[in-house]
Amino acid sequence: MANYHPNDELLMQFSAGLLPNALGVMLACHLQQCSRCREKARRYEQLGGEILANAAPVDVSPAALDSLLARLDQPAVAEETTAPVQGPEDIPRPLRRFVPAGFDELAWSGMTKSIKEYEIKIEDPNYTAKFYRIAAGKELPEHTHRGNEFTLVMEGSFSDKAGDYHAGDFILADTTTVHQPRASECGDCICFAVMDAPLKMTGFFGRMLNPFMR
Amino acid sequence: MNGSTRSLYPTGQIDYISAVAAIRWLLRYKELTLLSTSKTTETRPLDKFLLAIARNQDKQAFAELFNATATRLKAFAMQCGATPTEAEELLQECMLTVWRKAHTFNPKTGSAITWMYTIVRNKRIDFARKGRFETVQSDDLWPEETGKELEQEVSGDLEGEVVRMMLETLPEEQRQIVFKVYFEGKSHSEIAGDLDLPLGTIKSRLRLAMKKLDTLAKEQMSWLIIILMMNF
Repeated sequence: MANYHPNDELLMQFSAGLLPNALGVMLACHLQQCSRCREKARRYEQLGGEILANAAPVDVSPAALDSLLARLDQPAVAEETTAPVQGPEDIPRPLRRFVPAGFDELAWSGMTKSIKEYEIKIEDPNYTAKFYRIAAGKELPEHTHRGNEFTLVMEGSFSDKAGDYHAGDFILADTTTVHQPRASECGDCICFAVMDAPLKMTGFFGRMLNPFMR
Repeated sequence: MNGSTRSLYPTGQIDYISAVAAIRWLLRYKELTLLSTSKTTETRPLDKFLLAIARNQDKQAFAELFNATATRLKAFAMQCGATPTEAEELLQECMLTVWRKAHTFNPKTGSAITWMYTIVRNKRIDFARKGRFETVQSDDLWPEETGKELEQEVSGDLEGEVVRMMLETLPEEQRQIVFKVYFEGKSHSEIAGDLDLPLGTIKSRLRLAMKKLDTLAKEQMSWLIIILMMNF
């Protein structure tokens, strides 16, 4: 059960279909694990339903119904009958289209020995998406952010001075957040991160790392 | 008492709206306990059409559902920015999906119109990105839920009342922004530009609207608990 959640604005935008991108995938992953946010998202869908019910009617082409009735018996076109994307069990369903293998088989690239990343290729003009893997007990260099960074904990847990975060938790960091996340000793921590600008490291070690990061 | 430490008993802050909500609720609860579930769904015509399509591939019911909703689906598509031709095309695709997926509709988890809303929302997303595998598809965001699991956590149509009431009582300046979010798919800063208002104003009006919805829903839950306690 998650303790950190997306805010209502994001949930409303999600239910209104306005996040058809990396951030939307992240919200969908959080919702899979969070009944509280599922309930809220459903309420915003009901709001959409009410708005649809109240739309001022526009005349429909007189042939529309007949042409539909004629199509009802045709078999569904391929794209609609496509089975759900199959994928590794430990990757949540909303991410499977974009992640070819389970966490242990992914081609992680090392920033350092204890911090690895995997770029998730979701075509999105506004955001980049990544997995981070922080080795048990290790910490990221202290850093702040040039823009918003949304994080969803996938496995393990990490903490910074503001709190402890476990699987399913959704965290938003922005330009005012300076933190040094540390993975729990119990195991590696894997996070799904979506950011609208590259990380900017602040500590000495961070500044050394920065040129290698996009 | 502030919002975050609200007790189960809605003392002190009951206004007219929540009193009306409670009365409607009480009536609805009675209806639910007196009648079997199947009977209550029969009283909602759109539900009836969808269930007939799911069970019997009933084309007559499909035609009636079309007649009851097509003008609004088209209107919705056009307000979202589709041309009349595109809106007709979207309408066709939506109604075909309604026909094929009617079996996934579960009246216990929400109203027919909400279910149809999710279909038009998803079609609108997928329309724009046909055949591009690497982009997000609506199925990624809203995987088909299994009805049974869903039933256990949803108060279903009862919440529809709350949402309806919230829309009815929302001040015009807030409602206008909620409509722009849903209809025009605009970001907050685009809405600010449209209405020539500061971004902060848009955000605070939207936040007020969302807070109201949240408060109404919480109050409804409080009343449900009280009613349940009075009955047992």
